Amino acid sequence: MPLSSKAIAACALVILISIGMLSYRSTVRDEEDRGWVTHTHLVLEKLQAVLIDVTQAEGGQRGFVLTGEEKYLHPYRGAIDHVQRDMEEVGKLTADNPTQQDAIKGLKPVVDARLALLAGLMAIRRQTGLMAGAEAVAKGNSEALMNEIRARISEMRSTEERLLKIRMETAAAGTRKMKAVIVLGNGLAILILSVAGMVIRRETGKRDLAEKELKHVNEHLEQRTAELSDTNGELESFSYSVAHDLRAPLRQIAGYSSVLLQDCGPSLDAEERRYLEKVEEGARKMGRLVDDLLSLSKIGRQELALQDTPLDSLLRQVVEDLGPECSGREVEWRIGSLFSAECDPALMKQVFVNLLSNAVKYTGKRERAVIEVGQIMENDLRVIFVRDNGAGFEMQYVGKLFGVFQRLHKARDFEGTGVGLAIVQRIIRKHGGRIWAEAELDRGATFFFTLGSAENKITRKPQHLIRNEAIYVA
Amino acid sequence: MSLEVEILLVDDSAEDVELTVLALRRNKISNNIQIAEDGAEALDFLFCRGPHRGRSFSSRPKLILLDLKLPKVDGLEVLRAIRGDERTKTIPVVILTSSKEQKDVIDGYNLGVSAYIQKPVDFNQFAETIRQVGMFWLVINQAPPAGVFAASKAKGA
Repeated sequence: MPLSSKAIAACALVILISIGMLSYRSTVRDEEDRGWVTHTHLVLEKLQAVLIDVTQAEGGQRGFVLTGEEKYLHPYRGAIDHVQRDMEEVGKLTADNPTQQDAIKGLKPVVDARLALLAGLMAIRRQTGLMAGAEAVAKGNSEALMNEIRARISEMRSTEERLLKIRMETAAAGTRKMKAVIVLGNGLAILILSVAGMVIRRETGKRDLAEKELKHVNEHLEQRTAELSDTNGELESFSYSVAHDLRAPLRQIAGYSSVLLQDCGPSLDAEERRYLEKVEEGARKMGRLVDDLLSLSKIGRQELALQDTPLDSLLRQVVEDLGPECSGREVEWRIGSLFSAECDPALMKQVFVNLLSNAVKYTGKRERAVIEVGQIMENDLRVIFVRDNGAGFEMQYVGKLFGVFQRLHKARDFEGTGVGLAIVQRIIRKHGGRIWAEAELDRGATFFFTLGSAENKITRKPQHLIRNEAIYVA
Repeated sequence: MSLEVEILLVDDSAEDVELTVLALRRNKISNNIQIAEDGAEALDFLFCRGPHRGRSFSSRPKLILLDLKLPKVDGLEVLRAIRGDERTKTIPVVILTSSKEQKDVIDGYNLGVSAYIQKPVDFNQFAETIRQVGMFWLVINQAPPAGVFAASKAKGA
């Protein structure tokens, strides 16, 4: 999943969680608001109850005063009981509201006074009879007290109603907010889901397309590989049969001219003999060319026979074998110690033979040839180098160095078929390695190569030139 | 009756035959060379058939120089036939060819060839090679006694 998709997913998660929390909080607040509304209703109800209680007490007292019948005292007593409890409840319910607390404190003595008055009137009725009672009722200030009670309760009610109005508004606003949060949240959730769906669809589409492309590329690659391997096979068998079939007529040219030279040599003049020698030499050269071409094509087809090979002893053997080529010349060999490598020893020997005989060849015009072989570390890879102080070459032609039949020197100066380095490169590449060269005209050349297989990579710190040289002078 | 054949040279190229014979003569190795220009001719000679009906198995060549690329019956087939018959299987056979193809070398040795030599392009080298081969197989090497093997087959047949 790309980073942007991850970011989108994280964003979506945060948004969804926020919506959830907001919804939850809105719901809780809404519940609280509604609780307050209910509470206010309860206070109103209790205030009303207090008024009713007082009215009922008065009604019961009047009935008793008029009739003297004890049965009217029943509602009176009930009301007396209730009114205290109801007032207490109002007090408790409005504990959070100092205004109402003051109001209820103001109400209580008035109610008590009113009740005391009622109790007094009833006592008069009991003791002195109907007339005295009625008279006391009529002239008493009970109406004023009752009015005050009404006024006070009404005041409290209106306070409470104002509160109710505010609380209902708050509750309604909370509900609206909650609705908005839910609607908005759901909308956002739907939006996120749609975007996620789109993103997924787009990513899936992209992936499908990429997979399809990859499959196509793979198929193409497989086809190309098959074609290449076919072409390669054809080329190899072509070059093999060309090289092979060329040898027969060459042998005849070389053979007959040799025989002629040997049989009639004495009777030929110098010029005639030179011509024949040229024919023979040409055939021999072509023979070498064909043989080199053959070994190049053979290396292409050959399987590597890898084994742990001490390159040191391999190199010394090659140097020894080159002895005859160095005879009559002063050649200083500087041979550093080399590592053991997982490689095909026969092919590796060929690499050293070709590189060292090149070095011997191209130092041919030096009074004192110096040929150095050693090992350096480069990017944790062991690099073997072969350095000479010979003819060198111009770096602008380095690209041609490893091509088949490519030569950077005139045949007159240095003989050769132009296949040797191509063979070296093919062997190195077959080992998964790399070969390159550095040179300067008339200042010598250095060839570097690596052997790429995993066994030949070491993880030691670069050690640079290992100078543990033995010097051989041929 | 002519002298006994010392070398059977099997090669379809007249020039190669001539140069080989020249090399042999120069080195005074043998004057008694039988030439076969293809595999069928070689087998006729070896098994005393066709034009060689009258020949006796007891006079076997001491050495067969065999090219691989031959018309009709190729070199390896000839080798197989030689090694597959009691009367001829002990004759030294040296493959002398242009090819150094690994498969040819392996097949040759699997079929029991005595030696495998690639013809050098350079005539002097070629002549030297032929000299050494002739010297080794005709002079230095102790050849199997021809009569014994021919007789054993005759008894068995």
